[in-house]
Amino acid sequence: MPEAYENGTEIEVKDLNLWYGDNHALHDISIDIPKNSVTAFIGPSGCGKSTFLRCLNRMNDLIPSCRIEGRVNINGEDIYSKETDVVDLRKRVGMVFQKPNPFPMSIFDNISYGPRIHGMSKKEMPAIVENALKSGALWKEVSDRLNVSALDLSGGQQQRLCIARTLAVKPEVILFDEPCSALDPISTSKIEDVILELKKKYTIVIVTHNMQQAARISDHTAFFLMGDLVEFDKTAQIFESPQEKATEDYITGRFG
Amino acid sequence: MFSNAKINEKIAFALLKIATGMVVAFVLVILYYIVSNGYSAINLEFITSMPRNRMTEGGIFPAIMGTMYLIVGSMAIAMPLGILSAIYLTEYAKPGKTTWAIEMAISNLAGTPSVVFGLFGLAMFVKYLNIGASILSASLTLALLILPVIIRASQEALLTVPKDYRDASLALGVTKWETIRRVVLPSAIPGMITGAILSIGRVAGETAPILLTGAAYFLPRLPDSVYSQFMALPYHLYVLATSGTNIAQTRPLQYGTALILLLIVLCVNLVAVTIRSHYKNKIKR
Repeated sequence: MPEAYENGTEIEVKDLNLWYGDNHALHDISIDIPKNSVTAFIGPSGCGKSTFLRCLNRMNDLIPSCRIEGRVNINGEDIYSKETDVVDLRKRVGMVFQKPNPFPMSIFDNISYGPRIHGMSKKEMPAIVENALKSGALWKEVSDRLNVSALDLSGGQQQRLCIARTLAVKPEVILFDEPCSALDPISTSKIEDVILELKKKYTIVIVTHNMQQAARISDHTAFFLMGDLVEFDKTAQIFESPQEKATEDYITGRFG
Repeated sequence: MFSNAKINEKIAFALLKIATGMVVAFVLVILYYIVSNGYSAINLEFITSMPRNRMTEGGIFPAIMGTMYLIVGSMAIAMPLGILSAIYLTEYAKPGKTTWAIEMAISNLAGTPSVVFGLFGLAMFVKYLNIGASILSASLTLALLILPVIIRASQEALLTVPKDYRDASLALGVTKWETIRRVVLPSAIPGMITGAILSIGRVAGETAPILLTGAAYFLPRLPDSVYSQFMALPYHLYVLATSGTNIAQTRPLQYGTALILLLIVLCVNLVAVTIRSHYKNKIKR
């Protein structure tokens, strides 16, 4: 485990266990995720990294058979306590999905959707939309056609739109669930640039099955295997001198 | 040499073509029969005036209006009720015995003969609730009749909305209800309207349910409220063709009535299709 983080800790997870019905999918996960940095989760398919990511904004609540034990504190607040408002939590912890999923609406309406429902006035929208699209590095490409359907954009543009849509709600944490796995290398590198820019203001957690991506953009990396958190450390440490045999086998490509 | 697979494919295609051709042929024959026999009866007087001389002359204006009232009335009742229950069943109800029982009840409702709906409407609305034989009783009865179709079509429409949209909205900290209202419903409305279109023809054409709940043999005036009895095209057609004062003499009137009924269903469907394409364009695909 790394020593105290320079920007402090954003997410503290203690002894988290998760079951899908009888299937014990995550075992005693404990991890401290630092503020204003990029933390990557790597591991082979089915290792539980995406499942764990979805614990952090309680998207797993939507799966009826899912049961969770343990504690997750975000900014000191226990997000699984009875008092927690899940809707409010998801405002603070945004999520970008594997497959770009813009709504079948205009670019403008996609971005303004969240802020409008959260009660921001119509007058503020143009500025909010512009800022969000700028932060998502999409403004230059779409500023002259905000009324076009978001579904007319390319896959990479759609994914940056989804990032911008998340930013418009002003979260503290952004979870990325394999955001580039459906994209070409050029689109991928654009998204990576966006993520590196965003970590100045936001805490980023990214699930990726692309180890080069984890090495390129993350400050810390966690390696998951079969529902266990095997190793968590500074990214350089994980890739250059992993402490666990399984980690080394995985990053050197012996399995996975 | 043809392989077996190629021959089989040719046979299958031929069968499909013949089946489709037969369906089209039947529809065309029926249409031709009605149009060729009915068009001579149709003029302005026929669609705007009251029946005269014991329904052997004059028009069918009250029956046209009665059928329009029924379409509007039953849709106004069945659409909101059906769509809301479809939303509940698809989005909120947890799978279990109760939900299963409700789904089964809806399926059975869809297979219930219309005369049973008529008898239920008579017992429930006309007698027990004491609404009387009226437009309201008949509309309620017809609404029950088409409810399963509307619920099923709405459920199908809701299920085709991708989970991605819901996840995206929920992950933005939007409540489930707002997600349904702003993302799911707009995408599902065209499919729901398809359910309505299927129902319109049913409402306009059903005879047994309205016969028992408010359709009149003959009324010399238009209904003055939803509590009035009414004339309707299918029942009027039945009366003219089976128990009129002079069945042979009123043949052209019968065909004319059938033709008007078809035209009304066509027009109302066209309106519904227009509304549907409006909603389809609104969701930017």
